[in-house]
Amino acid sequence: MIRRDAIKIVSENLRKNPIVSANGFMSRDLFEVNDKESNFYMIGSMGLASSIGLGIALKNLKKRVFVFDGDGNILMNLGSLVTIGSMAPKNLIHIIFDNSSHESTGGQPTQSSIIAIDKIAKSTNYTVFRTSSKKGLQKILKQIIKKSGPILILVKINKSNRVSKRVSFTPTQIKNRFMEAI
Amino acid sequence: MNEKIQRKIFHYLKKNKIENFIGVPDSTLKHFIDECLKNNRIIISTREEEAIGIATGMTLSKSPSLVFMQNAGFANSISTITSLVQLYEIPLIFLIGWRGYLSNDAPEHLKIGKIQSDLLKIIGLKSKIITEKNWKIGCDWALRQIKGKKPCALVIRRTYHD
Repeated sequence: MIRRDAIKIVSENLRKNPIVSANGFMSRDLFEVNDKESNFYMIGSMGLASSIGLGIALKNLKKRVFVFDGDGNILMNLGSLVTIGSMAPKNLIHIIFDNSSHESTGGQPTQSSIIAIDKIAKSTNYTVFRTSSKKGLQKILKQIIKKSGPILILVKINKSNRVSKRVSFTPTQIKNRFMEAI
Repeated sequence: MNEKIQRKIFHYLKKNKIENFIGVPDSTLKHFIDECLKNNRIIISTREEEAIGIATGMTLSKSPSLVFMQNAGFANSISTITSLVQLYEIPLIFLIGWRGYLSNDAPEHLKIGKIQSDLLKIIGLKSKIITEKNWKIGCDWALRQIKGKKPCALVIRRTYHD
């Protein structure tokens, strides 16, 4: 499974739930497969998608807030797992699409092939799921409906050469339509 | 800045609808932060950039937020400020404690402290230094900035040694 396919499966399950997507190919894939006003494409500030998601989750308790993160991204902000785990937002679902590489910058390796990010998340009080198949992912998405967050789903994906188009909205357009949608 | 004024600043901003106070502690701001803690309005983050991310999420949810930090943390955060806060025009108030303002502060603060005002200017983040005398004018200015959808910074100088 490549990131684009995994993103398609998850995003089509979510309807109008807010999604914060990490910079680089993550946001580009989400924009191409399922653009919605409730998507916040974080095009800069690498590492911070989960922190932005936490802020949104704490202020929108009736909505389930999703973060589409990458392994390189979360490894830049591991403290975020501690903050999220300690604040324990029930409505935050943090999905890490993990290809053990910085694909957006040329596929250089991350250390997530050696250190399992889901194990770190488990020790910070997340409820953790892990899968590497489309069927497994669909099953987890059903399972989490009745579970309280913070939930982390680690989706092991394969690297891919396919590059999605850039997000065509300006940053302020992304912000304004997101604020109106949530 | 003395303890009484720092505590007043918290209540003044809270009264003026600042709902969230997020950041990394700094000794120059300790009484302000203590007042945030007492009033249960605070999130202490692991790094300054993380605080900016959380505050951005809250601001996107129409809940006005302040991010506090030492100037060392401000220097850490420059890329986040330019590529998130300024790029998306997120109206946040930064409250920055300025170590290295005195030329005989501890050595680790001197180099970054010397360029603190220049750093703010170079990235184009509007700022005001607030003191025991002008704090209310500075806070009013900052509140007007964020009403106009612009981020800004209030700076408190470290004018004593401990």
